Amino acid sequence: MHKFILPLLASAALAIAMPAFADESKPLAGQSITVLMPSPQGSDIAADFEAETGIHVDLQTLSWDDIRPKLVTALVAGTAPADVTELDWSWTGQFNAAGWFLPLNDVIDADTISDIAVAKIFTVDGTLLGIPYTNDFRVMLINKKHFADAGITEAPKTLDALVTAAKTIKQKGIVEYPIGLPLSATEGASTSWYLLTKAFGGELFDKDFNPLFTSPDSAGYKALAFELMLLKEGLVDPASTGLKDTQINESMFAQGITSIMISGEPGRLGQMNDPKQSKVAGQAEAILVPTLSGETRSFGLPEALAIPKVSQNQEAAIAFVKWFTSKDHQKKNAVNGFLPTRTSALSELNETGKLNSGDALVAQSKTVEALFPQGTPPWYPQFSSGVNTAINSAAKGQLTVDEAMAAIAAAAEQAKSQ
Amino acid sequence: MTVSAPDAAAIRGSRGFGPDAVLGALLVSPIVLTMAALVFYPMSRTVWDSLHRVNPMQAGRPFVGLENYSRMLSDAQLGTTWINTLIYVVLAVVFGTVFGVLAAALINQIKVGRQWVLAAVILPWALPGVVNSVIWLWIYQPGAGLLNGILSAFGLPFENHVWFNDRTSAIIAVTVVHVWRMMPLTIVIVLAAMQSIPAHLYEAARIDGATRIQMFGLVTLPLVRSAIAVAMTNATVNAFNLFDEAWVLAGSSLETRPVLVQIYLETFQNLRFSYGMALSVVITLVSLLISLVYVLRVYRNTRFD
Repeated sequence: MHKFILPLLASAALAIAMPAFADESKPLAGQSITVLMPSPQGSDIAADFEAETGIHVDLQTLSWDDIRPKLVTALVAGTAPADVTELDWSWTGQFNAAGWFLPLNDVIDADTISDIAVAKIFTVDGTLLGIPYTNDFRVMLINKKHFADAGITEAPKTLDALVTAAKTIKQKGIVEYPIGLPLSATEGASTSWYLLTKAFGGELFDKDFNPLFTSPDSAGYKALAFELMLLKEGLVDPASTGLKDTQINESMFAQGITSIMISGEPGRLGQMNDPKQSKVAGQAEAILVPTLSGETRSFGLPEALAIPKVSQNQEAAIAFVKWFTSKDHQKKNAVNGFLPTRTSALSELNETGKLNSGDALVAQSKTVEALFPQGTPPWYPQFSSGVNTAINSAAKGQLTVDEAMAAIAAAAEQAKSQ
Repeated sequence: MTVSAPDAAAIRGSRGFGPDAVLGALLVSPIVLTMAALVFYPMSRTVWDSLHRVNPMQAGRPFVGLENYSRMLSDAQLGTTWINTLIYVVLAVVFGTVFGVLAAALINQIKVGRQWVLAAVILPWALPGVVNSVIWLWIYQPGAGLLNGILSAFGLPFENHVWFNDRTSAIIAVTVVHVWRMMPLTIVIVLAAMQSIPAHLYEAARIDGATRIQMFGLVTLPLVRSAIAVAMTNATVNAFNLFDEAWVLAGSSLETRPVLVQIYLETFQNLRFSYGMALSVVITLVSLLISLVYVLRVYRNTRFD
């Protein structure tokens, strides 16, 4: 009889104790949070996180452009748009001034911060507003088959070589418009001009935020003149005045209609080389950004996760941010087009050969600068709007380069003064 | 004198608090309360807040008087958007009304299946503005767009023409989509008025030897004038509120940007909520003032005294 009773008692005791052990490993199990991120995201995020922590996630995705109005509308009304939200680098100055997000300095460990170098872009006046999850910076994307078909064997390192390569591709009839360059009044037109300004060896502002782009000798002035020259020479599609960068990536580069994305996103390489999503699978490659001098430069546009102060589930939200930015998840999430922000994860992925154009990306990541070393100013969105509006008008022939630069400088001054 | 005064008071009292008056007050109270909560209070609050600085990036909401309004005078981009908006209003009202009245006259001639034609005509109005705009975005596409395809088929050099690279053609392109969407409403209003014209008036005109064009000009138009004024009021307010078409077709491009897009950018991009509110107040007032011209005209044409 004892043979049966003792094991039975032991099993019963174990059955009673197991939930207690489980609760200890998943202290927040049973809670629910909402997460608002740009589309697309991996399909298994919610299930993986719930399996690991017991926290239920309602993952809501919107197009990147639609997230900001939703955030602003909810936050200005004192409600949480979600427990965890997207935070773009360009919003940090404004949102810090508004005091909408929970400082994360004390909840994220120092090792994580030191492993994620771009975290400093989200630190304003010592306050860490978000933890970067995607390491967006600019490289140049090329279609290596188009280059090979045109007889170009070496990737361009200078802007002159870039123009020569584009002209050769056009002359050989491989594509009509070899260069993809957004010229619509959208953020993509601004960021392309910022990159070209750096490529011409300059900066946008001095340390006191005085514009450095109004003189014809300045890099910013030359960058816009360069863009208009590409348009005039027929190297850029005139319809680019109405296209966002995402549209040029998806409907032109991924379709093999254009050969070079001047302001390329590393995260797009997976999508570009996926036969299900792209007609140029196996042909898309990242190269270092060509510059006037030949010494490559780039700047970072990382995106982070942040937690609104009015979130009712801050502990579970913090758990999600930690999990999503962990090394393991970052390595796994790379297949969805999100380049790890952790240096350790990036190196490990490259060593195992799992990173598309890994050597170029790692080399370019070492040259990444902050667009605003002083910290992103609160007036950045208004300035950027002034930039892309002026570029768009100049591309349509409504403004000269002089007038466009004056309009951008005026937009910067107006933005700063208010 | 001493007798009539109490009688008058009694009459006033019975008018003020009689059962009919109470019933009347009860019947109108839901709409009065709804309007107060959803229209008058938000409007008053918007006007009040426009006199303050409401900006989440700056602490407090200090009273700034007319500062938000005076800032408009030095806002260069705003000037361009006002010009764009006024062009939209003029084009949309003129073309919407002219083609709307002509279309209503044509539909009024249909004897069989008029309801089906009307249902088809109403479709663009029934569709959301964004859907209409996306459809037209495809039509205007430089490469594979329908418009360029048709023009190229006639041998014209429009194969890769970009309609939004020229300000004039861009403004016309946006206006066409707006008129396409709003014209059905004009058609419905004017058609209803045309159908109420007694047939014997046309018979009398025909006996007098009037042609079809004379009947349209001398019988139809004078009798639908009030309906046209209502339709024009509606078209004016809608043209001032043009947003979807400009946003979907050309984004925030300055050459096509109407005031409403500027309000959106000031409010949600620059977070200057009170400036956005001041702009909203001004465009509402301008829209109402211009509409008032039509409304007063309708009043003069329709009053019974």
